[in-house]
Amino acid sequence: MHPILSRPSWLALYLASWIPVAALFGIALHVLAQVPLAEAFADAAGLTAVLAFVCLSAWYPSRAQPIAGAGTMGFLLTHAVAAVISSGVWLALGRAWVALLERDPGWQGAGARYNSLLPGLFLVGMLFYLLAAALHYLALVAAKSRQAEQKALELLVQAREAELKALRAQIDPHFLFNSLNSISALTSSDPASARRMCIELAEFLRRTLVLGQRERIPLAEELDLAEGYLRVEQVRFGSRLRVEREVDETALASPVPPLLLQPLVENAVRHGIAQTLEGGTIKIAAKRDGSRLHVSVSNPRDPDGRARPGAGVGLRNVAGRLATLFGTEARLDAIAGGDSYLVELDLPAGEVS
Amino acid sequence: MSAPTPLRVLLVDDEELARRVLREYLSRDPGVEIVGECANGFEAVRAVSETKADLLFLDIQMPKLDGFEVLELLDRDVAVVFVTAFDEHAIRAFEVHAVDYLLKPVSEEKIGRALARVRERGVAGPPVSRLVADAKPDQPRPIDRLLVRDGTRVHVIQASELDYAVARDDYVELHSGGKDFLKHQTLNDLEAQLDPERFVRTHRSYLVNVERIAKIEPYAKDSRIAVLHDGTQIPLSRSGYARIREHS
Repeated sequence: MHPILSRPSWLALYLASWIPVAALFGIALHVLAQVPLAEAFADAAGLTAVLAFVCLSAWYPSRAQPIAGAGTMGFLLTHAVAAVISSGVWLALGRAWVALLERDPGWQGAGARYNSLLPGLFLVGMLFYLLAAALHYLALVAAKSRQAEQKALELLVQAREAELKALRAQIDPHFLFNSLNSISALTSSDPASARRMCIELAEFLRRTLVLGQRERIPLAEELDLAEGYLRVEQVRFGSRLRVEREVDETALASPVPPLLLQPLVENAVRHGIAQTLEGGTIKIAAKRDGSRLHVSVSNPRDPDGRARPGAGVGLRNVAGRLATLFGTEARLDAIAGGDSYLVELDLPAGEVS
Repeated sequence: MSAPTPLRVLLVDDEELARRVLREYLSRDPGVEIVGECANGFEAVRAVSETKADLLFLDIQMPKLDGFEVLELLDRDVAVVFVTAFDEHAIRAFEVHAVDYLLKPVSEEKIGRALARVRERGVAGPPVSRLVADAKPDQPRPIDRLLVRDGTRVHVIQASELDYAVARDDYVELHSGGKDFLKHQTLNDLEAQLDPERFVRTHRSYLVNVERIAKIEPYAKDSRIAVLHDGTQIPLSRSGYARIREHS
């Protein structure tokens, strides 16, 4: 169906734009064809109303016959035939309207006067059809370019997202080798722990691979991943690493981009726990506040620490992903206190599926 | 025939499990005596003096002081085997004449190879701390903190907290927040390490943090002094004055 017909507000606007045409048409009938004034306006009202809908019909041939499509002959022929048919239909319906008017005794002879105007009106009908077809082509071209633009933008967003996900899926080599070293140490002294750590590590690696391929995952799954990671690191750091979780039940089902939190948790270990002699607590908090989701990760930090190479890369990637996916709807704040560091995310909570 | 003196070995790693695996391998070698274990760089600096260790198994990434910084602060000759998780420091380790450079997870064979090298080469050699000071090409500059050893203690001074430094023969006297520290380093070397935007050589023997300068006053005929916010007066040479003016 024609897009204008499918939306009542558009249709009303479209028909309103024909009112001046109807007025001009009435004046033309009165002045040029000496039709009595009242009758000229009555004729014009009916004819214009019908014409408004006949013009919309130009949409179908215009769509069926793309401007850059088949040969010129076919194109011209299609529209010539369509113009003749449209004009004919218009005049036939117009005749019916005038016949209706003629029933009123005051407007005797309206039919005869109408009939005498038929050749001129036929040309007017063809012209209107062609004008409508031209406008439809313009609209189609504009819509197409808008679509192409949208598509290009979507592709760009998808490409950036894929790039960031790929970046994210890279396992931190320090983490991997240090974990393997811990397993190697446990193998002789505590084989059961060594086996448990192998399983935790495998679980974490597998989840990273699988989750990265999905569009959105419930926050609960992202938190599980982070906690699996922290369990592995806990073997390595022992009592230096403590974990606290403060997550509202209501936030758990919120969909989030996969591996969004993971870089923050890895940073908390790498730049926090690993840089302090005594270690400390990594706290993960999440809550849902209406349509917003707040997530934060905090960790202890060494106030005298040196600037470490690579610091900030993970944070920039997370901020970049948020910007790609949510634009200005999401924000990331990193707050460095004297001996603590806090990263807060604020993003749309999304529809819970 | 008496058994050769065992190698005195010190293990330095912030992870208990990493030390545990080294201890396990090394304890099987009768020619090795483990004289201590340290969980951080500060402990390591002290333990090297106290235990008279011959050989350090040294992790690179540790809190507070990394492995290279530990070496910089040592006052004794000691052979070093670096043990690290990821191969990104190999060139620097080679430049400080490390005996070996092992990657985690470490195998017993590699430990054996490292011990053989130490025995072959002997623990004597150029003092490692001097070598570190001479060869730090990939150390990021300007540095953002200074390490000063005071007996067995280590002070960490943030570069931004340094007010000024004075040359004292082979040492520099570092002034920070009313306290002063003596460090074995030349003023030229220190100047090269610090941010030239922040630290200006006002005199042959003075390097000053420009943010601390309150005003410049005439002193005697044709000469001036810089006065710091805490009232300290710093001599300005003719060229030093020109550098300060260029700066502001």
